[in-house]
Amino acid sequence: MRSKHLTTAAMTLAGLALATAAHAGKTLDAVKARGQVVCGVNTSGPGFSSADSQGKWSGLDVDFCRAVAAAVLKDADKVKYVPLNSQQRFASLQAGEIDVLSRNSTWTLSRDASLGVVFTGINYYDGQGFMVPKKLKIDNVNKLNGATVCVQAGTTSEKNVADYFGAHGMKYKSVVFDTAEAITSAFFAGRCQVYTTDMSDLAGARSKAPKPDDYLVLPQVISKEPLGASVRRGDDEWFEIVRWTQFALLEAEENGLTQANVDQQKSTSKDPGVQRFLGVNEDMGKLLGLDSEWAYRIVKQVGNYGESFERNLGSKSPLNLPRGANNLWTKGGLMYAPPIR
Amino acid sequence: MSAAAVGDEAWRRRQRARLRREWLLQGALLVVLLALLAGIAQNVAANLEARQIKSGFGFLHDPAGFNIGELLFDYSARDSYLRAFAVGMSNTLRVSIAGIVLASVLGVVVGLMRLSHHGLVAWLGSAWVEVFRNTPLLIQLLTIYLLATELLPDSSAPIAIDAVALLSKQGLQIAVPAEGTTALGVALVVGLLAGGAAFAAARRWLPVGAGLAGVVAGLAGALLAWLAFGTIDGWSRPEVDGFLISGGASLTPEFLALWLGLSLFTSASIAELVRAGALAVPVGQWNAALALGLTRRKAIAGVIFPQALRLAIPPLASQYMNLIKNSSLAVVIGYPDLVSIGNTSINQNGQALEVIVIIMAVYLSLNLVVAVAMGAVNARVTRAPR
Repeated sequence: MRSKHLTTAAMTLAGLALATAAHAGKTLDAVKARGQVVCGVNTSGPGFSSADSQGKWSGLDVDFCRAVAAAVLKDADKVKYVPLNSQQRFASLQAGEIDVLSRNSTWTLSRDASLGVVFTGINYYDGQGFMVPKKLKIDNVNKLNGATVCVQAGTTSEKNVADYFGAHGMKYKSVVFDTAEAITSAFFAGRCQVYTTDMSDLAGARSKAPKPDDYLVLPQVISKEPLGASVRRGDDEWFEIVRWTQFALLEAEENGLTQANVDQQKSTSKDPGVQRFLGVNEDMGKLLGLDSEWAYRIVKQVGNYGESFERNLGSKSPLNLPRGANNLWTKGGLMYAPPIR
Repeated sequence: MSAAAVGDEAWRRRQRARLRREWLLQGALLVVLLALLAGIAQNVAANLEARQIKSGFGFLHDPAGFNIGELLFDYSARDSYLRAFAVGMSNTLRVSIAGIVLASVLGVVVGLMRLSHHGLVAWLGSAWVEVFRNTPLLIQLLTIYLLATELLPDSSAPIAIDAVALLSKQGLQIAVPAEGTTALGVALVVGLLAGGAAFAAARRWLPVGAGLAGVVAGLAGALLAWLAFGTIDGWSRPEVDGFLISGGASLTPEFLALWLGLSLFTSASIAELVRAGALAVPVGQWNAALALGLTRRKAIAGVIFPQALRLAIPPLASQYMNLIKNSSLAVVIGYPDLVSIGNTSINQNGQALEVIVIIMAVYLSLNLVVAVAMGAVNARVTRAPR
């Protein structure tokens, strides 16, 4: 992996050295000409993006890529997935190797303002937590003083854990690896007493443990980790398409549109909101540079946000995470989309 | 123009023309190179600007905000990126120096083993070289690290060696004198004195190997002084204390795996250099030495080895440089070297270009130091009459 991300960095360098000046507003044209959305995803994030034995990708972040492809290219399968580790991700986006970064990345001010990328929204409200072996008999974060902590290089987790332990006057030793796979194998081998990352990742890692029941995810959450997709700066047209793809996924769930009923709703629904959303009598898509059925295709080919969540992270998945903050605002969660009109 | 120049005059004129042409050509090449570099630099700047990526080295004074697992000097998350890079560099240096020492010792031993007349010893030497030279370093590192973390016991139940050392998944903890800095100072002084005395004595009484005798005596003296100081003044012993093992000095599994991996891998190449150097000494030198009545051991020490050294030192320098560069593989087994710290920084602040420049500059300077030092050694060795 090392040589790989150094290669990426070197390519970024070479790209910056040799490329002609970047031009705004061209991503949509490039994607259409190529016939593929190139989407940066996690190398291995159970529930967010992981490839099965046939090389077929699935996960919440993968569904997001598929939704963008459905909206823009009319076919959710026209996606090329580029697995990236945490150090490669933004460099890869800056260098123009990918069109969208959909790789459970935390939206922060410094990333938004200084990396040459811009976040398009939030598709998962996460927080950082801790996992420990049950045999240590620890039930609270404040008993972790002096522990050895495994953490992934170049993540917000690395900084949060320093902040948290510092603020509470506790000490720890960090062991930093550059891939999630290296961390989980070191953690399950017992090199560290604690593994810290986002709660959803911990649940995923635990599901892959030799004996998941030997490990406990502590209930405390020490940070806000709003995860979302990002695009390069300077291309507002593409930014709007990616952002409203996320809103369309939410809007579909709020309107009760599912993969199963969207065809029927399209022909029978009298609700002007639904009709507008599905492009029956109004063309909202052309404002984005797309066609009238962009949102219809998202629901038809990918499903709404809730379906994607349940399939990848929720009750229909091995992770079995509760919706919690990721429920719609109408159901006590934080997911809220501005109106499509 | 008067009559055609003849003889020396004609030659000088042609020579002047030749020189002028060469200067012109080289000047033109220089201009082209500079223009190319300026073009690249200008293009990078324009692209960074166009992509709205902030650039510059100002970030070095911002607080780094992340912790580092292994420290040779004080550092906390509130310290600057500059200090974080210094920690990374010190970790790179530490593992490189330790690796160079161990690889050299192992390399010379294995190289001599391959030259041995004993079949089993020679075969063991060959096996060593073939195994460590012909498998990728990355795989060796991962294997050693995996074995260390899988097989060693938990830190709550370490393998104890007489309250002097503890071995566990937390690494190797050894007892050190409680007053660590003073002990090191005492050891240094005694070591220098012992080494100097041994060197002076050896120069008078031994035909060859005075330098080696001095180094060995110095190291032995230092070690003895260090042990004596610890025994008199008191030890700081490693003890299991909740999660951590406290007291003593500690070598993490990451450091141990990297150190061992780099040393084993490089020792195979050094062994081959030693062997090649010894075999390259003309066979007549052997015959002459033996004819003069030298024993085999004396012939090696006094005749063959010094000549082999001359041949081996230039390629040895590049092995040392390779070892330093290979230490950047640290990142796969979680050892916080310069590249690992660089990776983390790139992601925290996005200054990829600047960080890569820093990393390259550090490796370049380290290797230039090695080149200069080995150049000096080489000059010294080749100065001796053949």
